[in-house]
Amino acid sequence: MFTHTPLRLATLALLAAASLTYALAAGFFGLEILAEIAILAILVIALDLVAGFGGMVSLCHGALMGVGAYAFTVAANDAGLTALPAMILAVALSTALAFAIGAVCARSTGIYFIMATLAFGQMAYSFVFQSPLFGGDDGLSGAPRPDMTALGIDLSDSRTFAIYALLLVALAYAIATATLRSGLGRSLVCLHHNEKRLRALGLTVWRAKATAFAISGALAGVAGCLAAQHTQYVSPGLLSWTVSGEALVVVILGGLGTLIGPILGAILFVILKHEISSITPYWHAIVGLILIAVVMSRAQGVFGFIEARMAARKPQAQIKKVKADA
Amino acid sequence: MTTDLGFWVLQTLNALQLSMLLFLLSVGLTVIFGLMHFVNLAHGSLYAFGAYIAATLSGTLGYWGGFLLAPVAVAALGAGLYFSLIRSQRRAGPMAQVLVTFGLIFVAVDATRLVWGDLPIGIAMPAILDGQIALLGVDYPLYRLFIIALGLAILAVLTLVLTRTQVGAMIRAGVDNDQMAACLGINVERMFFLVFVVGCALAGLAGAVAAPVLSVTPDMGLQILIPTLIVIVIGGLGSLRGAVAGSLIFGFVQTFGAVLLPTFSAVLIYALLAAVLVTRPEGLLPAKG
Repeated sequence: MFTHTPLRLATLALLAAASLTYALAAGFFGLEILAEIAILAILVIALDLVAGFGGMVSLCHGALMGVGAYAFTVAANDAGLTALPAMILAVALSTALAFAIGAVCARSTGIYFIMATLAFGQMAYSFVFQSPLFGGDDGLSGAPRPDMTALGIDLSDSRTFAIYALLLVALAYAIATATLRSGLGRSLVCLHHNEKRLRALGLTVWRAKATAFAISGALAGVAGCLAAQHTQYVSPGLLSWTVSGEALVVVILGGLGTLIGPILGAILFVILKHEISSITPYWHAIVGLILIAVVMSRAQGVFGFIEARMAARKPQAQIKKVKADA
Repeated sequence: MTTDLGFWVLQTLNALQLSMLLFLLSVGLTVIFGLMHFVNLAHGSLYAFGAYIAATLSGTLGYWGGFLLAPVAVAALGAGLYFSLIRSQRRAGPMAQVLVTFGLIFVAVDATRLVWGDLPIGIAMPAILDGQIALLGVDYPLYRLFIIALGLAILAVLTLVLTRTQVGAMIRAGVDNDQMAACLGINVERMFFLVFVVGCALAGLAGAVAAPVLSVTPDMGLQILIPTLIVIVIGGLGSLRGAVAGSLIFGFVQTFGAVLLPTFSAVLIYALLAAVLVTRPEGLLPAKG
């Protein structure tokens, strides 16, 4: 089960303070990066919820995010909805899609689950890529940002938009922790450890898995809407399986099954990407090498490493911390 | 169009050619998985390396020089990978394997860009295969027939080795139950290595064969990876027969889907895969049971 250890609470407070300070102080480029981090953070929270706690390693979260982004853009541009109903519709669609994928894949485990989600993700990608409604390779432009001028908030300003994006990250984090603390979340963690026992106890396994996957899909859909609003342009590249792969990389680099770790991972990943790509065009190779090194060293990512070090300093805390959420 | 015999012959040959290319790639990947329970997402990158090496060598040694040396070079690369990364990750579980080999893809794509540049490289067909041949009323490129023949030949050799020789029996025993095979005195470790290297060589061969037909680009490994994975998941991980069946299904669905149902062609193969996964999660012809 997910618990807020003092270390986690301290990290959260630090993150919140740092990001808000940065959002108020940074220039235009910094704010763009902050929004980019926020989008990735929501996506990896969604992925960590299922992969880190439920053992459902998904390679279709990029596609779920892309479906959210496209649904939002189409609903706003073609159906003439305003931003908020369009967002609700888009999130509902990615939730429904994730529930269906979760239900179908519930029987598969391990590598078969990874392959199955990969297949569904690619299916969504090919569909969007080929369908004339979605502009094919060119993508779609003109996704609106929510109109909050009635409240005196102007989201076309990049500083306001960055703060709005941070609030959505906080919301995603709250939803993820609430899910993990609910009965469903406890079932999910148990399922990862002993599915047969839960089956014997009378849990409808596929429904629990599909529901958890749907909640994760909803968060991915939110990330998609935010991505569409940020650049006001969507392209099929959002749905590509490499986006899902990168999200998984961020989760692992940050610390699988810690929720906070992946957020740290998202910050590091986006900053690294901008820093390295300004030096060399081959930044992917460096990310790849870091990834291989982290996985080979069997470290539990950045945050997992910090937690392990802190626990090693206090032996009794190590015993208290059951490895349930790993 | 569809009543013309020539159309069917032509599309069948196209489908067979795609199937055989995918077979060369998927057979290595699937036997490696069956034997070692290792998922190598970087298999496509080995194929890309094969294509690049063949393209480079063909400049000095001619097409056949590249064709023969590319599998050797890729096998050497595979051996290096085996000792540096693969061996230690064998028991690490699917997620660690997926991640390590995903990282390898990143490194491989940038390495090819660094060495060979971003632009596609062309490679000339060998003179002896450059031309068309009349077959059942259609003119078909000789080189594509060569791909089909090569695929069939490799299939025949692999079938013979796996079913008729002692090494084949040892490999089948290893796929079935590696601990029991080890108890019976089979050096399973060495067999793993052998199979891995042969799988890499076949990927390199596929790259060398595909190079004149497709353009050689840094992302060709990524592009072929998904079809290859689909083939082995449809066919059933770990089995030669599964790789054959999966390759044929993919080749025919993809080729005929593109000409008969163009609006659905992209989704068709994924829908088929989903159907297979729902009804038979282990694939059509799994290695065990």
